[in-house]
Amino acid sequence: MAQFLQQMVNGLSIGSVYALMAVGYSLVYSVMNFSNFAHGGVIMFGAYFGFFGITLLKLPFPAAFVLAFVGTAILAVLIERIAYKPLRERKAPFLYFIISAMGASIFLENIIIATIGPTFRTYPDVFGRSSIALGPVAVGRLDLIMFAVSAVCLTGLVLFVEKTRMGRAIQASAYNMKAAALMGVNTDRVVMIVFAIGGMLAGIAGVFFGMKYTVYPQIGNITTKSFVAAVFGGLGSLPGAVLGSILLGIIETLVAGYLSSQFRDLIAFVILIGVLVFRPTGIMGKTTEDKA
Amino acid sequence: MRVRNFAAALLVALVLISCGGAKQADVIKVGWFGALTGDQAVWGNNEYNTVKMLFEEINAAGGVKVGDKTYTLEAVGYDNKGDAQEAVNVVRRLTSQDKVVAILGPNASGNAIPIAPILEGAKVPDIATVATNPKVTVLDGKVKPYNFRVCFIDPYQGAVAAGFAYDVLKARKAAILYDVSDDYSQGLRQFFVENFKKYGGEIVADESFKSGDVDFRPQLSKIKAQNPDIIFMPYFFKEVALSANQARELGMTQVLMGGDGWPSDQLISMGAAAVEGSYFVNHLDYDDPDVADYKARYFKKYGIQTELNGYLVHDAVLMLVDALKRAGEPTGEAIAKALETTNIKGITGTIKISAQTHNPEGKDAAIIKIVGGKYVFQQKYAAK
Amino acid sequence: MSSYIEGIIMLSGINLIAVLGLSLLTGFAGLFSFGHAGFMAIGAYSAAICTTILKLPFAVGIAAGGATAAGASWLIGRATLKLKGDYFCIATLGFGEAIRLILDNFQGLGGARGWPGIPPSTTIWNILILDVIGVALLANLVRSRHGRNMIAVREEELAAQVAGIDVFKYKMLALVVSAAYAGVAGSLLAHYMTFIQPKMFSMVKSTELTIIVIFGGLGSISGSVLGAVVLTFLPELLRAVDKWRLVVYGLAVIGIMIGRPRGLMGGFELTPASLRRHFADRKEAKAAKAAQVAEDAELGKDGL
Repeated sequence: MAQFLQQMVNGLSIGSVYALMAVGYSLVYSVMNFSNFAHGGVIMFGAYFGFFGITLLKLPFPAAFVLAFVGTAILAVLIERIAYKPLRERKAPFLYFIISAMGASIFLENIIIATIGPTFRTYPDVFGRSSIALGPVAVGRLDLIMFAVSAVCLTGLVLFVEKTRMGRAIQASAYNMKAAALMGVNTDRVVMIVFAIGGMLAGIAGVFFGMKYTVYPQIGNITTKSFVAAVFGGLGSLPGAVLGSILLGIIETLVAGYLSSQFRDLIAFVILIGVLVFRPTGIMGKTTEDKA
Repeated sequence: MRVRNFAAALLVALVLISCGGAKQADVIKVGWFGALTGDQAVWGNNEYNTVKMLFEEINAAGGVKVGDKTYTLEAVGYDNKGDAQEAVNVVRRLTSQDKVVAILGPNASGNAIPIAPILEGAKVPDIATVATNPKVTVLDGKVKPYNFRVCFIDPYQGAVAAGFAYDVLKARKAAILYDVSDDYSQGLRQFFVENFKKYGGEIVADESFKSGDVDFRPQLSKIKAQNPDIIFMPYFFKEVALSANQARELGMTQVLMGGDGWPSDQLISMGAAAVEGSYFVNHLDYDDPDVADYKARYFKKYGIQTELNGYLVHDAVLMLVDALKRAGEPTGEAIAKALETTNIKGITGTIKISAQTHNPEGKDAAIIKIVGGKYVFQQKYAAK
Repeated sequence: MSSYIEGIIMLSGINLIAVLGLSLLTGFAGLFSFGHAGFMAIGAYSAAICTTILKLPFAVGIAAGGATAAGASWLIGRATLKLKGDYFCIATLGFGEAIRLILDNFQGLGGARGWPGIPPSTTIWNILILDVIGVALLANLVRSRHGRNMIAVREEELAAQVAGIDVFKYKMLALVVSAAYAGVAGSLLAHYMTFIQPKMFSMVKSTELTIIVIFGGLGSISGSVLGAVVLTFLPELLRAVDKWRLVVYGLAVIGIMIGRPRGLMGGFELTPASLRRHFADRKEAKAAKAAQVAEDAELGKDGL
């Protein structure tokens, strides 16, 4: 029983890491309708911004944190302007966006390797490594802080999307970009804002990720898991991304803990396919009606 | 138009690739390859830097006398991203374009194995650095004529780790966490399990993760429930630090043990208190006076600490220079022949190559314990 | 010819076969796969089993490699081909990783440590012969009624369905054929390297193949041929700049997408007839190009 409770805590913690990454990715998907594979690269940059903010610039942690997510917001918008905007203007098929995103992702990872090197870097200890013992179950201090920050960010995001003018413009664009433009929504600005928010979330995810798992050029790769989680929950749906992430985290943990850690990803994959067979757009995905 | 442009570009490409093979009379070209990019890049850069530094030093000291001519050494290094297919390309290039007489590296067994047929075709020897899979030099009981290595092999390392855990640490119940998608980790795990069972120990948990994973708590929680005496972690320092931290977070107090993927300054900075008191099997003792000089020179030149690979490629260079001197002529065939009778003292110990296996024989493993954030040499340990 | 250049030519020939298959899937049927390296792995291991363990001739091994990969794709297609766009992408990604994981765990075939000692049966000649056969078969397929139906599915899935085309059937046909090509490429690779390891068939490999198809141009076989050759040579040229080469590579991918999104050959097919036309009348070619641009915009309007 103690092990089961611990595994549930592990699963929640892993799931919330996925969630933090999946939400930014899913947000961009909801408006742009393509998988932004450069998201992982932006997360990696966030981790580096935060790291160098603390170590090189000697900033206090909150300042470094802000620096990281402002930096990644700018980076994400830059990527959009350079790699996607020309495609958007030409109304290129989604395939080209994905390829361009893959190019951006290759570029981001390797520019770090070529300039500051492939070394692993450890964040200075900000919150302490010890964990809080709740009976037989250990909960990481960082996990709790991360959980709280993610909850605040996600609530903020939902409020922003639901309650503000810009948020409604985002919703409208997500529903139908062309119609939104006809209704007077400046879709170019919407796209920019969406990428800026996606970038901010990536920066936040990056800093936490870096603190939890160290910083190195390949950390963006872990985002494939969050892509899977987002698909699981339903692409383009923010609650879906969170739900899919938590579920994936828990499934992975339980499989590794009780079935086989050797075949964990295989079993997770079979479950994913199983869900998609019955719900082809994930658990809460927006139904992609064929735009004939 | 378009088509012609590309035809022209392709032609230029071919020409570019084909040139650069011009050979200067008094320079011996030595190839190196490994990962300068990708997730193995830390080790690759360390090796290549060491090779370049040593060659500069050798040349500054007057070069190498082969037969009755004196040559300077030139390193030709390529990145293969740690990829097997690129390893084949790179070795083809080194042997047929750059006309190197010998190749140093790679560090990964999976890259050292597929290059064997090309080396044989080109008659160029290769000295692998930390490729510990037995199949690097011997396949189906037959030694590969042009493959050598400077390190001990996995069966030996696994036996040492298991023996030390059982005999010295008195562990009877061992748990294992390993990287199922990594060749090195799978190999070391297998030989540890075999030997530990032979000694009479019990493997109470045998869990794995996949390269690129960062969270090991599900596996560790499962291991915790089995309450082992030690946890064997045969993988690289980044994952070691992460899994050690997570194990301590979960309240696990077991002694951790590992192999030659551990040593790195970063293990200490990343793992800190979590790896304190852990043991690992290493190729050498870092505080050995023999290695201090190289360590200092490397730090002086590059401003960062050398990794384990640097020490081994250092000895690979020594092996090569020794073989060159005895070869009489700077050709791959002569060097390979001379390498078979290598018997030198390197900084990682005495290197006596066996002609039957092309492995260094009787190289003792060093057991290192992490005490107070330092690598403290415990003892030499030879597996029975 | 030095063994280096010969090696690169052989590799580009092997890549070409995999790319041809993927070109059918992505360029003609409009499906995006991240798991093609998985099919290559299935082909490579099946072929190696035939030649190394069962001691069968290499030709049988190649055939078996293609057949098992095709069989696996049929199974996976049954489960996933109904998915749309990115859902299918992610499903194929998961499939590729799952194949790798199975091979990593399967100690009988070497596990993650790989399988050395496969006979070096692949030669430049059997690669070239298979290349020619591969191109010929594919060219015939895409020019047939089936090929036109596939393009219809790519262009406008709903309309194609309304017009009575069995969308699922054509997607499946494209997937199975492309997997068979990947399987053959995998068999050749195994006997070229003489060593296979699950690591060789990672997602990066799948991505590389897709990028080649895009570079060459969607819906163009000659583009795929050109793409496979150019992009196999390109990293070798960039080797001189070692750690910067992937930076350049990433930028080049973005550059092509922005500057010449239909790839090198986009839509243009290199055949004797097209060449004659091309040189006979440049003006017409220009007009065709303009039409192509128009078609480009048309195609792009609602996505693939």
